[in-house]
Amino acid sequence: MKKLLTFSIAAAMLAAVPAIAAEKTLSVGYSDALSGGGAVYGVPQKKAIDLAIEEINSAGGIKVGADNYKIKTIEYDDKADSTEATNVARKLIDRDGVQFILGYCCSASGGAMASFIGKEDAIVLVGTAGARSITSLGNKNVFRTRPPGDYTGAAAGRFIAEQGVKTLGILSVRDVALFTQYRDALIKAFEEAGGKVVALETFGGHDRDMTAQLTKLRGLNPDALFISGYVEQVAFSHRQAAELGIKVKRFGFSGGSPEQFLKVATNEQMEGVWDLLAVEFNADILGPKAKAFVDNYKKKYGENPTPNTAYAYDQVYVLRDALQAAGTVTDLKKIQDTLRNLPVPKEALLKYLPIDGKMFDGKGQAYISNGAFQWTNGNWKFVAELPSDAVAYSNFLKTVRD
Amino acid sequence: MIIDFLQQIFNGLVVGSIYTLIALGLTTIFGILGIAHFAHGSVAMFGGYLAFFLISTLGLGLLPSFILAMLCGALLGVVLERVAYYPVRNAPPINSFIIALGLTLIIEKTNLLAFGVDQVIIPTPFNRVFSVGGVTMPELRIYVLLTAAVLVGGMTLLIQRTWIGKAVRAVAQNRPTAALMGINVNSVSMFVFALSSALGVAAGVLIGALFAVAPGVSEGLVVKGFAVLILGGLGSIPGAIVGGMVLGVTEAFAAAFISSGYKDVISFLLMIAVLLVRPEGLMRGKAR
Amino acid sequence: MWKASAIAGLVAAAIVFPLIVTVNYFLHLAILALIFVMVAQGANIIQGYTGYVSIAQGAFMGIGAYSSALLSMRLGLPVWASMAIAPMITAVAAVIAGYPSLRVKGHYFAIVTLAMNMVVFIVLVNWISLTKGEPGLPSIPSPEPINLGFVELAFEKRRPYYYLTLTALLAVMTIVTLIVRSRIGQVLQAIRQNEVFAEAAGIACWKYKLFAFVFSASLAGLAGALYAHYMGFINPTPFSADASLNAILAVILGGSGTLTGPLVGGALTVLLPEMLRVAEVYRLIAYGLILILVVIFLPRGLVPALADLAARLRGNKSKRGAA
Repeated sequence: MKKLLTFSIAAAMLAAVPAIAAEKTLSVGYSDALSGGGAVYGVPQKKAIDLAIEEINSAGGIKVGADNYKIKTIEYDDKADSTEATNVARKLIDRDGVQFILGYCCSASGGAMASFIGKEDAIVLVGTAGARSITSLGNKNVFRTRPPGDYTGAAAGRFIAEQGVKTLGILSVRDVALFTQYRDALIKAFEEAGGKVVALETFGGHDRDMTAQLTKLRGLNPDALFISGYVEQVAFSHRQAAELGIKVKRFGFSGGSPEQFLKVATNEQMEGVWDLLAVEFNADILGPKAKAFVDNYKKKYGENPTPNTAYAYDQVYVLRDALQAAGTVTDLKKIQDTLRNLPVPKEALLKYLPIDGKMFDGKGQAYISNGAFQWTNGNWKFVAELPSDAVAYSNFLKTVRD
Repeated sequence: MIIDFLQQIFNGLVVGSIYTLIALGLTTIFGILGIAHFAHGSVAMFGGYLAFFLISTLGLGLLPSFILAMLCGALLGVVLERVAYYPVRNAPPINSFIIALGLTLIIEKTNLLAFGVDQVIIPTPFNRVFSVGGVTMPELRIYVLLTAAVLVGGMTLLIQRTWIGKAVRAVAQNRPTAALMGINVNSVSMFVFALSSALGVAAGVLIGALFAVAPGVSEGLVVKGFAVLILGGLGSIPGAIVGGMVLGVTEAFAAAFISSGYKDVISFLLMIAVLLVRPEGLMRGKAR
Repeated sequence: MWKASAIAGLVAAAIVFPLIVTVNYFLHLAILALIFVMVAQGANIIQGYTGYVSIAQGAFMGIGAYSSALLSMRLGLPVWASMAIAPMITAVAAVIAGYPSLRVKGHYFAIVTLAMNMVVFIVLVNWISLTKGEPGLPSIPSPEPINLGFVELAFEKRRPYYYLTLTALLAVMTIVTLIVRSRIGQVLQAIRQNEVFAEAAGIACWKYKLFAFVFSASLAGLAGALYAHYMGFINPTPFSADASLNAILAVILGGSGTLTGPLVGGALTVLLPEMLRVAEVYRLIAYGLILILVVIFLPRGLVPALADLAARLRGNKSKRGAA
């Protein structure tokens, strides 16, 4: 099916001979959860991608050599499911003939894609999906903006220990890779810093009653609790912990917005709770560029962008910069090498921590800083950076393959 | 330790009361029609969404919305019985089971289409927490327990003390004889579906207030409902009540004292064990 | 004999298919369809022939997939050996699961097997040291290449894998046909029609039911193994109760208790989503409607309905229910 692409490019070239800067179309594939449970992340991510593409196209498109490419997407719903994501990637590459794929909000879809994409002629720019294997497998053609969960988890473990916590009770979702990998890294770092985990309790994807687990943790009387999972469930855990009269410090990892938490828990129940996460999109911290993004997003969609939108938004600019720098849209080898040496695009919203001056490390992984946020008067307040070491993690990532 | 123990019993009873409401509907339908009404969980979720809609969009009060949602649930139950189950009433049981699966898909996805993927929480003004000797009891949980008790009591009275209840019991005991005695078996079927669906909707509203209505909840709910049936004995109302409480408390204890990761596995193993040792259920209902 | 020539034609078409198809994606779909037909054929044995709806096919597929992947990755067994052992492990699991659950009938059995599927799913997610949990197992090896002298079959390529799956399915179809036409098949159908009578006729029904359950599970296990080594990545998601419900749908749609029904139904459940290019939600609602309409109006499924129609067109009304 690559024939179709080369043909259409050739046709476009023929048609465009007289013009100096020819108008051409670059088809980019898009695979994400547009329905089902993952849609909470996939749909906003798609909106952010569309917004970035609109901005690039209206600014004249991507200038490759003498040509101007307007981006067009071919999109499919992968439902955050591994089989569907495999089907979608095959469809995009084999049938639609695309060479660049954006999207992937979730571990299962991203993980499935990463397991075979190394053999395919395509470059994948992953957004929010957090499973480590997506980059640790070492595919030359996969690049991801979101740091893996365990990178943040280790920093969080050290941070909790630094707060004088000696014993920690953990309540965490059991079936989401991002959270389990974060949690395991947290436990390791916390215990290395001399702390002790008194109990590790879990809940399933649809549970919303955690009182049994919390009652058990209450009985063990640790110095602090750590609660992680998707925001809907973490919010219930905090409410129920407060209802059970648990007074100790509560740390967590979910990345939910204040509105999402206040739907479930009261302000009093949340007061003083910590959220320890990669500093995702947050207009208050990231400055004027980010404020402009919020305005544009609101204007186009009538709602606020979710914290994960920036990962995918930045990837569209990564693609533009890489193609312009490589001076080709067909030589994947050259584009891959360019990506590997790419500096951070100037439009990027997040504050990346470059490795040797480059946005992506040897395994195609980018890093951002991690932060501790505390619930104060109905909002998350940035308190401190977590002690995270991107270079050390990048060196560790070189050594693992899962 | 004893406080934690009592706390876990309280935790379990609250969840168990919701299981009971679901199981009561399932057990009556099974008792009368021999149908495993798999779509019952989705009907419950529909009720939760509906109550939320009535409160948040139409601005109705909590209690009127609750009652209106239950009435709509009753109507939905009648429609389901007429349109989907009635045509296969004389076919092998596998057919009605497939119908139930089809209904589940339709109701579940219509919910998704109408109400979206985000969880929905029915707003209530009950935020106080009582503490009795160290056992904490949130106000809302107490009300859930009481509401469930009232509904279960009302349903029991209806079945035991009224004319229509007598007809229902007669059909459950022997369908052909009941028909010969002049009972309109068709209206009894419709009545049972209306009553059961209203109770299911009530459970959905309670879940929506205490936890949340969301996609993916109903499957777990209906399986728990059937687990209660197996624990308590098919078609047995006291069995559903006791079974619901036993399941709720078992889950709480399993999470607390064995493993929270495997708490559902433990409750299913309990169910399988009961099947092996006492196939007629804990309460010795009418086994079929 | 038109039936024999129809079968020969179908097999020939299946063999030629990869040689004429130009879009690799369709080959990918065809492989998935063949694998799913195998699952459906398994479901057909217990559901269609024996009359017990089992909602555990997805779990058995998962057990097969994980066993085969782990045997080859952890123990370093050759992939061919792992794929051969995986259905046996699945069969052992099915004996353990089937013995207690087959004591109940009808709807009860369905619910118990559904609970079992949930148990297996929870274990796959929770037993992280073995299964790696939800993140899944990446880099599952392909079967070792086979050198036929004139050509080397490298199974990480789609075309050889298609032929591998096709060969496996043909073997399965042959075995299923033999079983269905044997005394065992007759007993199973007797159980479906009236278990009490069968029991009264002195048949130890439980042995036959257990056999049907275990055999159907091992087909799902084999399909799971084929799936794992084809995809190269598995996590618990594809083995949830949804997969089991899909298998039931396939059997009902195609025609339960017929040999060709699962072929049609299984292929349809994989290909229908590709053909109905509408939003997922609408498609599932349509599925639900189709399911209900088929049960009410075509209770025996598509294949028998079409066979009836064909028979009627040929003016031959005696051919009901065979196939």
